[in-house]
Amino acid sequence: MTSTLTNTDARPSAVAARLSLAFAAFGILALFLFPFGTYTRNFNAAATVQRFPAGVLDFTGFPPASLPAVTGSLAFGWVTLVALLLVVFAAVRRQKWLWVAGLVALIAAVVSVVLWNSALAGATQALLDKGIRPRRIPFTSGGINMGLFFALLAGLVGTFAGLSQFRSWWDRLNRLRGLLVPVVAISLAILVGAVVVLVVQAVPSDPSVKLNLFTTFVGKSDVVWFVFSSLFAPITNLSGAVDSLKLATPLIFAGLSVAFAFRAGLFNIGASGQLTMGAILATLVGVYAPLPGPLLAIAAVLAAAVGGALWGAIPGLLKARFGSSEVINTIMLNYIASGIFVFLLGSNTYTFFGRTVTIPFKAEGSNPSSNLLQPAAQLPSIPQMLGLNTVGPGHLTLGPIFAVIAGVALYYGLRRNRWRALVAVVGALLIGLLTWRIGVPLDVTAAISNSRLNSSLLLALLAAVLFSVLMWRTATGYALRAVGLSPKAAEYGGISVARNTILAMTLAGAFAGLASTHYVMGGALDEYRLKQNIPVNVGFDGITVALVGQSTPVGVVLSSILFGTFDSGSVAVSSKLSGVNKDLVTVLKALIVLFIAAGGFLSKRITDPPPLALVKAVDAGVNVDKQVVAVQGNSVTALPNVGAQLDTPGSDRTTHSRTPNDGTQGNDRGGKA
Amino acid sequence: MKLLLEFFTAAFLATFIRSTVPLLLTALGGLFSERSGVVNIALEGLIIFGALTGAIVTQQLDPYLGAAAPWVGWLAGVLVAGGIAWIHALLSIKYRADQVISGTAINLLASGVPAVLLTALYGTSSDSPPVKHALPLWGVGDLKFSPPVYLAFIAVAVTWYVMYRTPYGLRLRATGEHPGAAASMGVNVRRVRYSAVVLSGVLGGTAGVFLSIGNLDSYVRNISAGMGFIALAALIFGQWKPLGVLGATLLFGLLQALSIRLDGDNLIPSSLLQVLPYLVTIVALIFTGSGAAPKAAGKPYDG
Repeated sequence: MTSTLTNTDARPSAVAARLSLAFAAFGILALFLFPFGTYTRNFNAAATVQRFPAGVLDFTGFPPASLPAVTGSLAFGWVTLVALLLVVFAAVRRQKWLWVAGLVALIAAVVSVVLWNSALAGATQALLDKGIRPRRIPFTSGGINMGLFFALLAGLVGTFAGLSQFRSWWDRLNRLRGLLVPVVAISLAILVGAVVVLVVQAVPSDPSVKLNLFTTFVGKSDVVWFVFSSLFAPITNLSGAVDSLKLATPLIFAGLSVAFAFRAGLFNIGASGQLTMGAILATLVGVYAPLPGPLLAIAAVLAAAVGGALWGAIPGLLKARFGSSEVINTIMLNYIASGIFVFLLGSNTYTFFGRTVTIPFKAEGSNPSSNLLQPAAQLPSIPQMLGLNTVGPGHLTLGPIFAVIAGVALYYGLRRNRWRALVAVVGALLIGLLTWRIGVPLDVTAAISNSRLNSSLLLALLAAVLFSVLMWRTATGYALRAVGLSPKAAEYGGISVARNTILAMTLAGAFAGLASTHYVMGGALDEYRLKQNIPVNVGFDGITVALVGQSTPVGVVLSSILFGTFDSGSVAVSSKLSGVNKDLVTVLKALIVLFIAAGGFLSKRITDPPPLALVKAVDAGVNVDKQVVAVQGNSVTALPNVGAQLDTPGSDRTTHSRTPNDGTQGNDRGGKA
Repeated sequence: MKLLLEFFTAAFLATFIRSTVPLLLTALGGLFSERSGVVNIALEGLIIFGALTGAIVTQQLDPYLGAAAPWVGWLAGVLVAGGIAWIHALLSIKYRADQVISGTAINLLASGVPAVLLTALYGTSSDSPPVKHALPLWGVGDLKFSPPVYLAFIAVAVTWYVMYRTPYGLRLRATGEHPGAAASMGVNVRRVRYSAVVLSGVLGGTAGVFLSIGNLDSYVRNISAGMGFIALAALIFGQWKPLGVLGATLLFGLLQALSIRLDGDNLIPSSLLQVLPYLVTIVALIFTGSGAAPKAAGKPYDG
């Protein structure tokens, strides 16, 4: 159905042309308006920036001794500019060669980025050769800036908009439509966040630097670039990546929890409380259970799941039995769980109606924390498992990567084999073990070797797989989804809504409860014990993660990693800027949810392409907007099949996380759809 | 009997009324929104935005306006909370968003914006500096309250009158029960819903202003402490009716006052005592269910 929207004449479609025109025009403007690249950055984020045609603006007050040779990068900036002008021309005339111009712009911009970074690296090396201490060298914190970035983006958009004229590319791009709403939502949130930064943050600069209107503008745009490049920065270095994976782990669990309930038509705001109860139970087992070795770890993990499951089952039961809203009940249970948590960690002796009772949960001493877990219940950290626990030169094994490749290849290669899942897992394990010694040399820093990135990440990935199998490969999952899509139809089809409501909330709670393994057993609270600083807000972040991930396991994992990156980057931002607090990230997350919730601002024609009849009508010159209005007004339309497309029932629109995804999910799993 | 007399002192009564008022104002706000068919989970966030704006505006205007500053602060808090509620309305009416998700987004916003704003203004992320002039206290003896308290009880009567004795109330109720039928009788469903949701922001914002400059003299972190959600529960418990809401919020207010009063008595550990209102909420919801809910609540209107 989606592939029918191919223009009969092979020009880029009007929409694609307009899109690339807008991006290219903005890219050209951005080259001149915003800084092109950054040489250096102080501890207060003040920078020395390069303007595009020529000229350097210095906010640091300490200009670098010699500027590196960036003429090559600027020259390719000119090439990018010319190519973007060609994109504009091609887009206006709707020429076939639009994609070529876009591709040239893209390549030129990439070359410019590479040249810029190599110039900085060269300057850094020159200073190192002179014997200057590494941490004093300014150029290492340089990089591209907004001007070059937007030019690059414009080239990218031009390329793909142009390529969409080819049928195979159109199909390929079409498969990514599910990403449209989250990507637009994230972009809009970043836009609003940028405005917030512009308002609250003064230009960080040395007092000796005099600012006028123009330099203030450049400085402010540099601050915005600094904030958002820092938020994404953990991607580019290993210790940052390790840190963001660590922060992503509990988000995966919480996101799966919310997504699982979503799929069954329920809204689980109670992941925080479920996490807390899971943590309490896991701590109890991990501290006191007299079990040997691995059994104890398994029992503690199960206890975490059970704690969350019980706490999730309550609102499920209440909804199924009494019809009271799970939304309010889960929120109330969050407060109750937090009360129990404070109660248990507050003291060991209490007075109940004058009688003194002792509940020995809290450890001796004044700190509100539990006893230390038995060593067998402590999950090993991932750097430890990879043999990266000593600072200094080490090597990072590539075994897991080979194992994943082998597993995927086996799974898709043996399409006809009944046991292909089993064969793939065994094969992956074998390959992983065989290639364990193959690796890349790596300089292990203390940040990596001491990291609390622990094996609950593997549990989280396992949970994602479990989610996927349960939801799309079993009868239970079918029943859950049926209830989620239409409770009445499910009931009519013989599926018990009450039973599935309870089941969905219980399993959602179990996912949330497992998040506590990261904090308690994985030592993410800096010790292997339950402490008061357990960040229960993760439960609410789970909502964002599930929405951005469109309630699919793969989406949840990816968006968790994105938000883990945000979270770890935000610490650097708030430590460097005086006006920006790390809660800016919380605001960004809220805005993302807001914009995803308002997914309706993207017209249905973009998120769900219209049928061919409509496209032909457009080419024939019918005013479509009037027709759409007519359709929404429930009157008869001249176009066949349009009403069915546009007049989707309310339930589908409100739960936008469902309809488009079932399709992508099918594609993800090898074209089952 | 002696125990009872010892208990129900004027101070206890004052605490009781002070705990009831924010719940009552918020729940009445929720009443308008939900009777028009828009579920309003965002009440908690509306309280926070009202409280934050009230405190900051009053604090900033103190040097210029003196004793008049809190009144302007109140107005600002109401306007901002109304504006935020308008966003919720826009999302759920125009863009047909899931109302629970849209409301949750506003609550998330309310958990991030105060820290960012307070850092930008004062350099600390949790509390605002105390205002010189809070809202005045009117009354006698121990029973002195700021104006929103009196407003809250007047608002119950006004809400009842508006809801059952005016054309607007009739349209509102019709819109929440059966928007299609209402529209066919010439009611502008969207306009009614917009107005009702904004009104819920106005009332929720007033509750927030009461908390920050009517009860305390600054904005502190976690000032709302889940009152928005309890108000929502009170709304359900009160069967979406003004007098029912009054009764339910009085009950919850009493429970909160009790948990404050019993805190030092060593009867039950205070951390468990604070859980009491939430527990009662769950029990109350069991007995209420959702039978009396406006039939169109939570559903976007397609007309």
